[in-house]
Amino acid sequence: MIPKIDTELCTGCKSCIEVCPPLAIVVENEKAFIDPEFCEECGFCVAECIVNAIAIEFPSSTKK
Amino acid sequence: MEQYPHVFSPGRIGPFETKNRIKYAATETNFPFSDGFVSDREVAYMEAQAKGGAAIVTTQGAYPDKKGEGRGFKGMMAIWDDRFIPGLARIADVIKKNGALSCIQILHCGREGGVDLDYCLMPSVVPQKLSYFKPPREMTKEDIGASLKDHIEAAKRAKAAGFDMIEISGIVGYLLSTFISRYTNKRADEYGGDIRNRCRLMVEVLQGIKAETGGMPVGVRLCGHELLDDRGGNSVDESIESFRIAEEAGADYLSVTIGWHESSQSVITRDVPMGHWLSVAEAVKKKVSIPVMMAFRQFTSDIPERAIAGNMIDFWEMCRPMIADPELPKKVAEGREEEIIPCVACNLCFSRLYYHQPIMCSVRPTVGHERELEWGYYGFKKASTKKRIAIVGSGPSGLQCGVVAAKRGHEVVIFEKNSITGGNINLASLVDEGAVELLRPIRTLEKECRRLGVEIRLGEESTPDIIKAGSFDAAVIATGATIRQYSDAENASCLTPADIMVKGQKPGERVAIIGGNGTGLGVAIFLLRQGDYRITIIEESGKIGRDVNPFYLWQYIRLMKTRKAAFFTNTGIERVEKGIVYLNGKKAGSFEADIIVAAVLEPEKKWRDLAAAKEVYFVGDAKRPRRLNNAIHDGYRLGMVI
Repeated sequence: MIPKIDTELCTGCKSCIEVCPPLAIVVENEKAFIDPEFCEECGFCVAECIVNAIAIEFPSSTKK
Repeated sequence: MEQYPHVFSPGRIGPFETKNRIKYAATETNFPFSDGFVSDREVAYMEAQAKGGAAIVTTQGAYPDKKGEGRGFKGMMAIWDDRFIPGLARIADVIKKNGALSCIQILHCGREGGVDLDYCLMPSVVPQKLSYFKPPREMTKEDIGASLKDHIEAAKRAKAAGFDMIEISGIVGYLLSTFISRYTNKRADEYGGDIRNRCRLMVEVLQGIKAETGGMPVGVRLCGHELLDDRGGNSVDESIESFRIAEEAGADYLSVTIGWHESSQSVITRDVPMGHWLSVAEAVKKKVSIPVMMAFRQFTSDIPERAIAGNMIDFWEMCRPMIADPELPKKVAEGREEEIIPCVACNLCFSRLYYHQPIMCSVRPTVGHERELEWGYYGFKKASTKKRIAIVGSGPSGLQCGVVAAKRGHEVVIFEKNSITGGNINLASLVDEGAVELLRPIRTLEKECRRLGVEIRLGEESTPDIIKAGSFDAAVIATGATIRQYSDAENASCLTPADIMVKGQKPGERVAIIGGNGTGLGVAIFLLRQGDYRITIIEESGKIGRDVNPFYLWQYIRLMKTRKAAFFTNTGIERVEKGIVYLNGKKAGSFEADIIVAAVLEPEKKWRDLAAAKEVYFVGDAKRPRRLNNAIHDGYRLGMVI
């Protein structure tokens, strides 16, 4: 699952970029964006984000 | 089969005769839903495992409690309510329908549980260093009683779902193991104290399940060597005694595992020789008379064959080798070993679990897509138009693309400028002990290409003009990365990783490595294994080894720190001149080095803007320098659509 970034919460600190193995994240206008073409869905950015702006929507059986 | 008479001899577990000695071992996938229900994806994955020829196929661990204290993964399967039975029954059915014995694991993750809670349950409060896990809460006697009941109720559901046998797991920091280990069990009541008391919960669970399921066969998975000597863990004798206690309590088989997640020693990485841990299983086997099994770095069938013949184990368990190729048992049995997609112990599968992502496999992109037709796990539909495809480069991305494109009916020619296939994997295979295993998937892919009629032109460097002249419909640029250069005109350029690792250039003592990703670290590790070097790694980002799997990174960093390597992060290269590196950023300044190795990778540039063929694609490092898994997945995915 490609993580989703909450641009309200994102402060543009770039700490996610540091841990992204394929360098799939860019910060523009102080907000981070994930390039789906390169995202390998590792989740490292989710664990790294200090303001919890990045999340993985894990599918549930009722809401896919 | 003749080659491995012991692996393919019938075995016995409780009342069952098994068709061979191979067991697909319990493996978390994160394929089930976040509410614990079985997904189609999980069923398809398990179906592939069942079709692969193992005698026994084990499910992933299912957590037995409603609160989720036992739940260690967001996508962990649940068994705490009857509503989960229909989904679980689908897995039992699909295993049995394909001729294997079905085994379900019941797993309370204990110290690693409570993934959505703010605590985890343990016999005693012993905090741990791994930040991923929750702060521990000591279990009361009521908690222990409730957990025992949860396990037994779960077992009844397992029976109702139609499974042949049940496995309970007390390994790596999961609940039962935290009771058994001296490190985490400091209790003063009857659940703590000597090893027999510490095994009490495991024994009660085992006997409770036996009593309430009408004596279903129950296997127990325990730790044979915790590798926690630095933290006061069990002695090996105590661990072995825990297996004996399990046998005495009525276990039908014993699975021997090694290490905890907190162990500061490598257990399943490539530096651990295959078969290394079998002596621990043998020590258990000497003390018991029920079947003993083990997984752990037995990737090739000669190892379990010898171990079974030598009375070290009775069954060969596999997780990772069968994630990489569920058909491994069948291929061994049919003498098609060279067709096995080989696990390279990269541990991509494992590390993803802790980041709440479904498992992936570097060498088998179809993991989790077994029933999606376009992925071709059970074979591809031919492409509507047959194309003539040129692939430039025979590294992992080029070879993998060739295999899939050829399976879809295309005519494929691979151009390779060197005399052997493999591209930069040939370099990576030199980094450290065990890295040579990285060549195994290359050999497999190369042979598969040849079987499929892909023409591999070795020693033929290709250019856009050559491709143009060959009238190809599509060109796939899989030439790998190029090395960023830093020198000015009047100086000799920096050395490349290949200069050091292949051409054998011996640097002076002071080595500057520009680039702290996998490539730079690989050069550093390679050098430190050859001799004493004072290494400085310069990395423009804030992190060393961003693209290196955590399972390997900590080992590499530890080695480099012991050998006094310096890390200059957030530091860029101003210029390189006459053996002096001029830096900007955090470590702005300059320093002298006897040799400077450039190890920052960049995408292929020569082949941009070309009209060599009607369609031009870039894969692997030529597209963007990344890791082995990206190269193989790029190649596979392009092959699917080209």
